[in-house]
Order: sequence, then structure tokens, then C-alpha cells
Amino acid sequence: MILALALALTTVPAHATADRSGQEPQKRWTIFADEIHTSAGRTIANGTVVVNGGKIALVGTGREETPEKELLKVHAVTAGLVDASVRIDSDAKSVEQSREVSPSVRVADSLDPFAIEWDRQLRSGVTTVLVNPPDFDVVGGLGVVLKTGGPESIAARTVRANAVLRGAMGSQPSVGNHPAFGRPTDFYSRRPTTRMGVEWEWRKAFYDAAASQHDPSRAFPGSDLVLRALSGDLTLAIQAWSTQDIRTAVFLKEEVERELGGRPRLFIDAAAEAWKEPQLLVRSKTAVVLPPFPMAAEGNRPAGRTEDGAFMTLEVARLLYEQGVPIALSSHGAAGIESRLPMQAAYAIRGGLPFEAALEAVTISPARMLGVEDRVGSVEVGKDADLVLWNGTPFEPSSRVVGVLLDGVLKVDPRAHE
Amino acid sequence: MISILGLVLAPLVLGTPTTASAGESRPLAIRADRVLLADGKTLSPGVILAEDGRITAVGSDVDIPKDAAVVEHKGTAGAGLIALHSYSGAPWEMRDSTRTVLPDARVALAFDPARSDFEDALEAGITSLVLAPMPVALCGGISALVKTAGGTVVERDAQLSLGFSAQSLRNDRFPTSYGAAIAELERLFEKPEGTFARAASKKLPVLFEVTSREDVARAVEFSARHGLAGAIHGAAWAGELAEQVKSAGLSVVCGPLQVGEERRDLLAVLALAKAGVPFGFGLDAPGNHPAMLRTGAAMCVREGLDRATAWRALTSEAARIAGAGERVGALAKGMSADIVLWSGDPLDLASAVKAVYVDGKLAWEAKP
Repeated sequence: MILALALALTTVPAHATADRSGQEPQKRWTIFADEIHTSAGRTIANGTVVVNGGKIALVGTGREETPEKELLKVHAVTAGLVDASVRIDSDAKSVEQSREVSPSVRVADSLDPFAIEWDRQLRSGVTTVLVNPPDFDVVGGLGVVLKTGGPESIAARTVRANAVLRGAMGSQPSVGNHPAFGRPTDFYSRRPTTRMGVEWEWRKAFYDAAASQHDPSRAFPGSDLVLRALSGDLTLAIQAWSTQDIRTAVFLKEEVERELGGRPRLFIDAAAEAWKEPQLLVRSKTAVVLPPFPMAAEGNRPAGRTEDGAFMTLEVARLLYEQGVPIALSSHGAAGIESRLPMQAAYAIRGGLPFEAALEAVTISPARMLGVEDRVGSVEVGKDADLVLWNGTPFEPSSRVVGVLLDGVLKVDPRAHE
Repeated sequence: MISILGLVLAPLVLGTPTTASAGESRPLAIRADRVLLADGKTLSPGVILAEDGRITAVGSDVDIPKDAAVVEHKGTAGAGLIALHSYSGAPWEMRDSTRTVLPDARVALAFDPARSDFEDALEAGITSLVLAPMPVALCGGISALVKTAGGTVVERDAQLSLGFSAQSLRNDRFPTSYGAAIAELERLFEKPEGTFARAASKKLPVLFEVTSREDVARAVEFSARHGLAGAIHGAAWAGELAEQVKSAGLSVVCGPLQVGEERRDLLAVLALAKAGVPFGFGLDAPGNHPAMLRTGAAMCVREGLDRATAWRALTSEAARIAGAGERVGALAKGMSADIVLWSGDPLDLASAVKAVYVDGKLAWEAKP
């Protein structure tokens, strides 16, 4: 718990940027660091990163003369962190409950660019996030990949619109639904009330979408998007906490490959119990996003238990890594300090995950799952200049985020801590 | 009904020495110490001449016809105030919660001109009101500009109401989400028909109902995407996005502002003025008292808003936003003779309404 408290301090006040003052912010920076953790297979000691015009211009070891006002000196640099499961301002108004399968509903339409939580994420080092609709529907709609700062407009912050088709297995989509008899009919009466019903909705959506190619009467609103998910053109993100629900998601993928000739690209979000049957994920080439480690008891839920009763310990990330399952760590939208992304990397390391793998699990690995690895997720020339500056080795209890650059703009200034 | 009432009241108000009857065919001449014009200038003294319900001349040296009924006013005369966004006359008729897209519902056909709300508005110097559908639907219908005396509808098709806030979402009918709401509005404007076609070609202004800054951002983007004209209503802080609102060519319906309003809300109004965004003031009567219209504007002036801008927001700019800028909202030749006689400057809260003329007829008068 000391670790928790220490890392809790990894957030520092964001400095006012020039975004609102009308002045062009300074976009040229040279960073001298004792350690550059690139997330691209190498760590550079006593290295330099040069940032210009919003992109990374140079990563190396040379140290040229640099004007004082462009120079930042820190202990370590990593890429801006990427959280593949976030719910900033995504609430009941972000999901269409008049239908159970609503592929075309865009969560981006419901987001508030002015919400304070964006800045909190940014200050903790998270620069790119996938925002999902809440899982009240079986198929909830389209998630969006956004930067956590920049212009106060969702459109301007979008890295990838319509990045994933998002839905859920398990109990959550059927919560609140009821059979049609015994009470006034409303549109919750016709929805699935069981896991079996949830799974049936998924399969019906895929089979109807496939059939709609030669029988237009089988089409439904958004069936074109389900078809794109079937072909692998649109990434499929399914929430499944417990073993049974993870199985259901994997079996669904395998069934549509076998029966419909599909090639869906699937990752499972909140896969707390993925460690129980990792060979299933290896076999089906399915990546997983882990929810925050349930370190403390919450409500009537004991420590170690997540949603749907799924059990998860600190070793889970290591176990999956050893089996070769691609993993990303996430906050799963939890706002608590313990659930923030840098904390999750620290926990995973404590559970035995090598540092390099933990770093990748909060940078390039989620970037790949979201199809944005060409822009973010590592410290490489040509990528967006999203960088996190640390006063020690990242994820160590005594280290904290002292600086953040987003698209080359200094959002948190490390010089304020000297 | 109001006109009958007017005839009944007429003998009572005729008794005062400074007032003459706005007789059926006799011209009306009001000679006041100060006459406020729409451009912010003041005539002192000035004369307003009206005949058959319309203003025929305004000036410092206007010849008063011999047969005119002359009103001498020791104070200020100005155009009647115009309140945007109100529910007077039928507060519970302006919503239909069973359906969410009602492009042809008209408030003009659903209000009762005899309700006492209108008398309250007259008393506050308001001569026209925009009656709007309640913002609880994706498309709640079409608002109307009506006179507060006589039940006259000035503009039957003022604005098409579009719900961009969470208020238009419900959990017991489609849509429950912003995503589906925006998608539905996109569908309606993609190949627009009927009322939507008129809105898409800017023949019918739209009114974006919002409650938050992100709603304003969504409305601005939507408006730009479909080339719409109109105004945004309901976000206290729309002024903080003034540049975006300006670039989309939209106006803003501010308020209603309350006494004790957060300073941030008032500063947002100033930001609109600074950015050159046209704006008027909403009222939301009868829930809100009509006297708050002028009070809200005066609070903005206290915060630093230019007086002339505040006055236009209460009169000519409001008329323009309601699609009737050529008919009401200013003391100028050809305009409706909607005139309020104030004891002093209307933006000074110590000033009181002395008399209100609507269509050249005395509609309300302070008791001596």
C-alpha cells in the first residue's frame, strides 16, 4: 500500500498552455534524459529526444548545444501512455437502449471535451485513450481513440474515429431487463435477460449481417458495421470478465470464422480471468486488455474479485505474458487514483511482469490493438510527440510523472519541480 | 378576448390627463423627453407618430397632425421589449413526450391569448414574446412570435426547435443516447423534406436547445455541417465558445438570467458581445417573472456590457432573431407601434413602466 500511496503522487498540476491565450505554443523541445525507454526494443542511456512541430524529430545519444528555453532535463522519458479502456464522460447518455444491438451509435457524439477528467488523465501521463460506450447493450456502438488534451473539441482530438465496434458478454447487458409479462410493456421487455440471450444477440447480429449481403430483408441499422467487424476491417472489442464469458467471446469468434468465413480482429476487454485458460487466447490469436488490479475490497466485493465475480491477482499479467498472449493494462474507466494506468504497470511488475513488458502493456501494445501504432505508443522518429517525463525509473514507487508533452506541446512542465 | 377586455378598460385609463385615447382612426402622437432609437441614439425631446397601428414618423421636429391624440410623456419612450423563448399562454401545451420528432407542431396554434401571463409581460414593458416548444424532444416543433396584447401572431414560423441537450433523451423511448439522437438528426437533414428542407435552405431559422458547453459544441458543428441559420438557447456559458458560435454564423438566446446569477454567466454574455455574436434574452415565463428580462440585461450592463448593445438585445436584435426584425423591435417608420413609456432609462432598474402601447393602442397603464 506504500507503493500505492507513492505512485498516487505521480500527478502534478498541469501548467496553463497557450491553447486559450491565442498564442502559438512552443513546439520545439530538446530533452536530455538519463534513460529513454522507447517501447521499440531499446533503452538509451544518456539520450536525447528532439521534438519539433508536434512530432518526434530525433531519438539518439548526441547532445548538441541547445537554447536554454528549449531544453528539458529529466531522469527518464517514455512514450505517452495509452489506455485502451476508458469511460470519461461516457454514461447512460452514451448508449442507445431502445435497441440491444446498436452498432452505429458513436460514443464520440456524447463526450464532453471540457470535462476535468481529461486533464487528470493527461497529468498522470496518459495521452491517448479508447473511450467506449458503457456496456448496457449487447453491441453498444463505436468507440473512439482520442488524445487527452489539445483543442477543446472531440473532433480535433480524435486519433481514430470509429476505432472499434464495442459490445459485451456476461451479465451486464442484461441487467435491468425483464420478461414482457407481469408489468407494463416498455422497450426493456424484449431484451435478453440471461447470458445465453446476450450470446444469442451477438450471433444473430453476425448471421443477419452476413445474410444481408444477399437478402436485404436481414439488414438492420448498423449491420454494415457488423459486416466490417466480421471481415476484420473494424476491430471488435468485447468486454468479458469471467472465464465463461471469455470462452463465449472466443467461441463466437471461432464460430463466425468457421461458419461465415469471417476474420474478425478481436480483443477482449476487462479479461480478469483470462489467466485461467490462456491457451484459448493463444489458439484464437486474441489479445486482452486487463482491468485494474482489484487491490482492495470494494463494497461487498473482496479484494481480488472484479465484476461478474471474476478473480484476478497481481500475477495475471505475468502469466499471460509468459504464455504469449498480447496484453494491455487499463484503468477500465475507474477514476480512483489506485486504478490509474501508471499504477497498473507498477502492480504488474510487482506480480512478476518484466519492466519492458509492463511498459509495452501501457504504450505500444494497446496502440497496436487500437490500430494507432503508426502515430503513438513508442519513442520513435516521426511519431506524435507524446512523451512522459519521469524523475526516476518509470513505475518505481519513488518515481513520478514530472512532465508531459502532447503533440509537442509541453502540458506539464518538469522545470516547475526543480 | 383581450380586445374586448381592452374596450372595457379603456374608459378607466382615459381619465388621466396625460393620456389620450388611441382612437380608431385618429393618429397617435407621443411627445417624450427622450426617445430611444435602435442604433443607440437618443432624441431629446422626440416625437413618435403612429397611425393604423404602425409608426409613421419618429423625430425631433415631427409635424403633429391636428386630429392626433397627443400624449405628453415626462420620461423615456422606447420600443416594446421582446422576450425570446417563453411558454406564456400555454405552459403545458408546448410539449409532446410521446413522440420526439414533431417538425410540424406549431406553438402559434396552441396558446391562449387571454391568460394573465400576457398581462404580466405587458406590465414589464414586453410587447412581443417568442413562444417556444419545450426542449424535451429532438424536434419539438415551431416557435411563434406573438404580441402580448390582442393575441396577434407576428411570426407563425419563428424557429424550428432542435433538442441538442440531454433533456431530449429519455429512457423510455427512442433515443436514449446522444449518439442515436445525432444520428437521427443527421438522417433528417441528410435529404431534408418538408419543414427540414425549409430549415436546410435557411428559410426557417433553427433554435438549438442546449444545456451545456459540449451541447453548444455539438450544435455548432451540426449547424456548420448542414449550413443552418438560427440561434443557440439554454447554455449559460455559450459565451465561452463565442468564437465558434460566431464562425458558425449563429445567434444566442441568453438566459433567462436570475438575480444572484453567477458572475461567470454574465461574463459569458459580455464575451458574446465582444466577439460580435448577435444575442437576445430568453425569459421562460411564466416560470420566470417577466420583470427578469430587463433585470437580466441591467445586470449585464452592471458587469460592463455596452448599454446600446443591451438595448438592442432587448428589442431589435431579439426581433431579428425571431425573424421579425422588419416589423417589430424598433421605433422607426413602418414598424409596429409597440411603444413603452418609461419613467427613465429602461436599463436603470429604478425606472418604471408608465404605459405600454401595442399596435398603437394603449394596452397597459400604471395606476396613478
